[in-house]
Amino acid sequence: MKTRTKTKLRRAAFVIAFLLPAFAFLAVFLYYPIEETFRLSVMKSSGLGKDVFVGLRNYAKLLQDDDFKAGLWHVLTWAFWSIVIQIPLAFTIAFSLTFYKNKLTGPLRAIYYLANVLPSAITAMIGMLVFSPGYGIINRLAEAFHLTWVTEIDFFGNPSIAFWTVFAVATWAYTGFPIIYLMARMEQIPTEIRDAAELEGVSGWKYARFIVLPMVAYPIRILAVLCTVGSLKLFDLPYLLTKGGPGNATTTLGIILYQQGFINWQYGIAAAIGVVIFVLSLGFTVLQFSASAGKDSYEG
Amino acid sequence: MKADRTSFRAPRFFRHGVSEMLVTAVLIGLALLIVLPMVLPWLFVFKTQLEYAYGPWSLPKHLIVDNFVEAWESIQIGQGLINTFIVCLGAIVCTIPPAAMAGYVFARFKNRYTEIIFYAVMAGYFVPVQMVLVPLYKMSSKLHLIDTLPGLFLPMAAFGIPFWVLIYRSFFRSLPADLVDAARIDGAGEVRTFLSVMLPLAAPATILALILVFIGAWSDYLLSLVLLNDQSKFTIQLRVSQFLNAYGTDRMPRYAAALLISSAPTILLYCVGYRWIIRGTLAGALKE
Repeated sequence: MKTRTKTKLRRAAFVIAFLLPAFAFLAVFLYYPIEETFRLSVMKSSGLGKDVFVGLRNYAKLLQDDDFKAGLWHVLTWAFWSIVIQIPLAFTIAFSLTFYKNKLTGPLRAIYYLANVLPSAITAMIGMLVFSPGYGIINRLAEAFHLTWVTEIDFFGNPSIAFWTVFAVATWAYTGFPIIYLMARMEQIPTEIRDAAELEGVSGWKYARFIVLPMVAYPIRILAVLCTVGSLKLFDLPYLLTKGGPGNATTTLGIILYQQGFINWQYGIAAAIGVVIFVLSLGFTVLQFSASAGKDSYEG
Repeated sequence: MKADRTSFRAPRFFRHGVSEMLVTAVLIGLALLIVLPMVLPWLFVFKTQLEYAYGPWSLPKHLIVDNFVEAWESIQIGQGLINTFIVCLGAIVCTIPPAAMAGYVFARFKNRYTEIIFYAVMAGYFVPVQMVLVPLYKMSSKLHLIDTLPGLFLPMAAFGIPFWVLIYRSFFRSLPADLVDAARIDGAGEVRTFLSVMLPLAAPATILALILVFIGAWSDYLLSLVLLNDQSKFTIQLRVSQFLNAYGTDRMPRYAAALLISSAPTILLYCVGYRWIIRGTLAGALKE
């Protein structure tokens, strides 16, 4: 009896001791800051003097702020276009690679994913290299072919183009992940299915559309969620490439948060934006999963 | 691998057909689109600005290194590299052991209490860094962690731990429970069992963690931007963005040199370990 309680106690001590380091990290750098974010979001706080409770006034201010509205609009359109452009592109590439499996499949997959691994500062440098006015690669190429109308495009300075330039750089950088992810899912499709389709004489198009696509419907939904949440958090590339400008043409919620928090020192407002980002990503995740509830019957 | 290929072949019409060639050509074109922007700078980097302006596409006539020297100095890449390495090392040391320990406990002692704690840990996985930026900054200034490298890698570790707890938990679960019992019979205590039996068996997970935590810490931009203001503490990514702001592409050959230098470590690491990197990324993504 006695030894039993002893082992039980010892085991409990072991469990606690082994969970403690991880839990300590999370408590200090995650749980406490989360609580603080919610608290600060209802405070007028600038780091100087005492915080003053202002209720929901920070949120009300955000709703009237043009920069915030622009940032919100940009991340939502960004999410929309990345779902509409990047995911179908990735599906097509992933399908082609798995469908025609040959010696090039492995190397090509590795190359497509390479851009994903680059730090965003490097990706931004590459984006500048390609699109910068004057000496950028596109500009030089256009000049070599005497396409003056192309040389006149200001990819980063023109407010109606800048968004798409940043989006193009991001597509270049981030499509690798959905490609390798969908490939992994497609490779899990049992070969019998493929053999049966082949026996029936199903064409490649039909095989892609009516057999493979439904089978990766669930992974695609996960990708859509990741795209949306990623867009809501968007900061690095637009900030590095355009600082959110010209004006607020490429600003995002992340950039507004950074500017309010660390340039204007409006902690309360920045915290409110943080809450908005959190609530929206949570909301969209739940929404996109429940929209077509129930996991797909086929799942890897 | 071979069996795989034969069983995953295209329908008769497509096999080795025209369409396979066409599709492969398009796929190669897309791959060039990825690689070319990283390779083309080699064409510019050995030129003077004047040579670049008049003949960007011609082959370099001489191998001048001035651009490399200038870029190296303006990015101060030496200092940046040292700082970044310290941050990577710190992130690895602070992420992996706590995550492995917690993952082990969650895998082996599953009960009501550990499950609740597990979900509390996983909740951290869904919190965007942006959300906690302001309190993190405030807290770091209070603790005098601003402008210190631990001030950067400690929160980094906290953000990484939930994901690696998940990976370690599922890895330890996949190991047979008999191993633990065998170690017990041999008289090993819990800690000994973990350290000398289970942890070595989890080496694949640990290698993945080493590579991906390193890459994560190496690539970070937002946290470094907020938590480091002192230039002597700048990581390589901050130096790169500083270069981007200060010089831009006005002198393309120097810019190309800066790009080649600063992207080289990542590209080299990727060439050596891309299998592991892709496998690790997928291992995480396929978990959900």
